[in-house]
This record gives sequence, structure tokens and C-alpha cells, in this order.
Amino acid sequence: MRKGFTIWRRELGSGFLSPVAYVIMALFLAVSGWVFLQLAAGNSGTDESLISLLVRVIVFLWLPVLATVVTMRTFAEEKQRETIETLLTAPVTEAEVVLGKYAGALSFLLLATLPALGGFFLLVRVSPGLARAGVDWGALGGGLLFLLLMAATCASVGILMSLFARNQVVAAMSCFSAILVPLIVGQALGATASAPAWVADAVSAEVHLKAFCRGLIDSRAVVFYVSVTVFLLFLSVRVLEVRRWK
Amino acid sequence: MISVSNLTKRFGRTTAADNLCFEVARGEVVGFLGPNGAGKTTTMRMLACYLPPTGGRVTIAGLDVLRDSIEVRQRIGYLPENAPLYEDMRVSEYLEYRGRLKGLQGSLLRARTDEVVVQCDLNDVYSTVIGRLSKGFRQRVGLADALLHDPAVLILDEPTIGLDPNQIRRTRNLIRGLARRYTVLLSSHILHEVESMCERVLIMNRGRIVASDTTENLVALVKGHAVTVAEISAPQEELVKRIQSLPGVMRVYAEAEHGWTRLRVESRKGRDLRTDLFHLASLNGWGLRELREERRNLEDVFISVTGSETQAPEDGP
Repeated sequence: MRKGFTIWRRELGSGFLSPVAYVIMALFLAVSGWVFLQLAAGNSGTDESLISLLVRVIVFLWLPVLATVVTMRTFAEEKQRETIETLLTAPVTEAEVVLGKYAGALSFLLLATLPALGGFFLLVRVSPGLARAGVDWGALGGGLLFLLLMAATCASVGILMSLFARNQVVAAMSCFSAILVPLIVGQALGATASAPAWVADAVSAEVHLKAFCRGLIDSRAVVFYVSVTVFLLFLSVRVLEVRRWK
Repeated sequence: MISVSNLTKRFGRTTAADNLCFEVARGEVVGFLGPNGAGKTTTMRMLACYLPPTGGRVTIAGLDVLRDSIEVRQRIGYLPENAPLYEDMRVSEYLEYRGRLKGLQGSLLRARTDEVVVQCDLNDVYSTVIGRLSKGFRQRVGLADALLHDPAVLILDEPTIGLDPNQIRRTRNLIRGLARRYTVLLSSHILHEVESMCERVLIMNRGRIVASDTTENLVALVKGHAVTVAEISAPQEELVKRIQSLPGVMRVYAEAEHGWTRLRVESRKGRDLRTDLFHLASLNGWGLRELREERRNLEDVFISVTGSETQAPEDGP
């Protein structure tokens, strides 16, 4: 796996070399910060906690775009520039390539999300009421775990889409829809009574978000996200093995 | 070192490589020629473990490209067409990354990097971002990458394409210098280049190997007549008449140029007209400023074996 580590380092490094990443990060930090503040200000009287609000903003607003921007390059760019040929003729296995690129994309995603969490601590710091009540660490831990699971899943979706696409624009569009559509469907499932409750419990990110952000860690949800991720990564390795690029 | 038997590759209905068989011995430099779309790139990609063959077998240093793919790749240095590189990396970073991918590390990585940088003359651009490099330098960075892990076999797909004459000469010298240490298979369009670098030539057309031999043997194979070129200061009509009366002359082309007559004389195979032309000129007191036998070269071989129908399906993926 040492070669996988080499690929991981190159992926993470190249993420920070591209100016696009910084622009997107700054833009969305501003937008998500502002949305979070607006939601927090209009939040008095409802039962939704600040942590839940913050994770909601990050997961529904920030993650689909960021995951798209970060993962669209992974394979589509290599194919566009034909460097995939040098990569796959080096003595590395397909699994090492996929996992290295996945790890690079995921760590970049997590690093880029960190500043958004800062908004929460800033709010706690400046608001005397919140400071007195203290931070609910269990809820914060649950929220962060949910964020990690979502980032891991989104990154694996992006990797697979990037493998299918020949250019980055196609990769970006398919990745963005492949992340957004399940999120919206989950939202709808949670909001309506048309589907049985167990369906929403099983697959709706909205339902999971609420539970995790109360500190309620549902092992079924953890298994769900982990297995989706593992399955998509497995599929990616297989797709790469078939390698018949046009 | 390289052994290919019955290698076939199909893309849907097109057959890019059709039942190829050839061997390349250790230390040999073999040129791979063929018109565009002949299947050279596809064949090289199969040798480099990038494309799986549809049928047949390829072994490199006794290892099968499908079963022992990683082992084979460890022994191959492959330079794809147009030398694709990561534009956002510096040459130093790129070579370090590639070295690590190929399993080098620590002092060995440093030693190998230093060596290929000297070999490929990359000292001046060592810390330049690859995106800013000229085509010639990129090609050399690609070559440095191929040499990095000191492979036994080098597979170079058009290593001199798109370079200017100086760069071509440098690359050619570099490859010639590698010939003693490595087994090299290189493809090219430029025939005289292959002639000067390779001991043996494989010519491919429409997915098949149509000729495989040493350059001299191939040239000897081409049938045809001897051609003598001369420039003599004599009245054109008289000169042509006199030459036509020489034994063995088949056809004379003449062209007047400022009092000189440029001649191209075709004669029977094996009939050397040079002495006769010299005597003809000296006996009549005519000036003689050029006299040579036109040599057959690889170009004639290429044209005769690939025929006029050089249109084949598009280059495979």
C-alpha cells in the first residue's frame, strides 16, 4: 500500500496547487457561513440545535459542490491528458490507484470542511447565552461522525463518476446529480408519509442527520453509508480493470 | 527478451493487431514502422500492459503480461505517444512521484533521479513546472521517467515526434547511447531515423507484420533497377543519345540547367554506369560536376511493403 500512499500524497498536494479549489472554498465558506448565521438567527423557538443547523448547511449546501469539484479531476483529468496511460503502466495495482485517489479526495474534502466548523465555535464564543449553556459534546460528536460518513460516501460517488466520464465537465455534472438526487429523495421521504417509515429510516440523510445531531448514533445508518462507500469503491476498481478507454 | 506469439487485438469489428508474432533479443534495438493506423500504438500498449490482448501471448523477460502484469511493468520503461505528463508538477516532483510509484525510495531514488537527469540533460529545468516546458524538454522528461527504475526493456512510442531537428538529433544520440544497456523497441514515422538507430526493423501494415529483418537485408530485398545521377555540361540531345547507346541503359531522364544537363539514368540491376559516364564526359571534354549511384533505402522498402493503400482504420484507442 506504500504506492497507494504515494498517490494519496500527490492527489492531496495537487488539490492545494489548483487555484480553483481555493476560490470554491472561499466562496462557499462565505455562503455557508452566511446561511448558517441566518438560520441560527431565525432559529429561536424551534427545536433544532445549532449543531444540526451547521451540519445541515454543510451537508446539503457545501458537500455536493465541494465533493464534485474535488473528485471530478481524479480520473477524468488523467484521461483527458492521457496521463492515465503512464499511471496504469507503472507497477501499481488498480486497487492502489483507486484507494490512493479516494483517500486524497476524502482528506481534501475534510480539510476544506474544517473552517466551516469554525463558525460554530465562533458563535458559541461571541454569544453569552450559548457560552453559558455550553457545548453539547455528544451532539457535536454525532454531527461530526455524520459529516465524515457523508463526505466518505460523496467522495466514492465522485470517484466512480469521474472514472466513467471522459472529460471533467461531464464528470462534474454526473457527480453533482448523483449526490444531489439521493439527498433530495431522502428529504422527500422524511417529509412525507407516503413511504413506510422504515424506508426513510434506512436511507434518508435528512432522518439520519436529525438523529446523529442529537447524539443518537444509529448503527444501521453507519453500516448503510460504509457499505455504499465500499461497494462504490469496489465497483471503481472493477471499472478501472476493464480499462478500455476510447 | 520480448516474445510475442499470435497476438491479436480487436476493437469491436476492427482488428488493430492481427496474429502478430515476433521476438526481440536482449540488448537489441528494434524499430517499429508502419503508416498511421497500422496498429503500432495498440501493439505497444499491449506490450506495456495498458491494453489486454484479445488473443495470443506476450512474455517479457519470461513473464506473461496478463498473469504477472505488475512484475512485467517493473521491468518495462514505457514512453507513450506525446509523452503525457502532469502539467502542475515540477520536474523534480514528477520524477520523485514516478520513482516512488515504481517502488524506489531513499538513497536509491535519489541516485536514480540524479542519473536520469544527467542522462536526459534535464539539469536546467529540474525545478521548472512541467506546464512551462517546451515539447523537447517534455519528451525528455518522459524518457527520464521511462528510464527511472532502470528497466530491462524500453518501449518508446514515437520518441521524436514533434521535435525540431536539433532536438531530434539529441534524442537520437540519447537513444543510441541507451542501446547497449537496454532492449529497445521504438516506433517512428521517420525512416532515416530508424535506419540510423535500429539494427532490426519490423514493418506493420493494417494490423499485420509485413516485414521483419535487418535494415540491410530489407533494402536488398527491394527489387528494381540501378539509378545513376549525374550532371554534365553537354548539349542535352546529343548526351541523351550517347547514353542511350550504352549497354544496359533502360531509361534516361534529362533536364537542362544553365548550360548543364541533369541526368537520371536507370539501368539494369547490378549495372554500374558511373565509369562509363565518366569516360563519356572526359573523352568529349565535357565538364562533370556530379556523379553518384542512388542508393535504395528504407523508404523504398516501406513503400513497397505497405503499398499505396496506406489507408487503414483510425488508430485504436
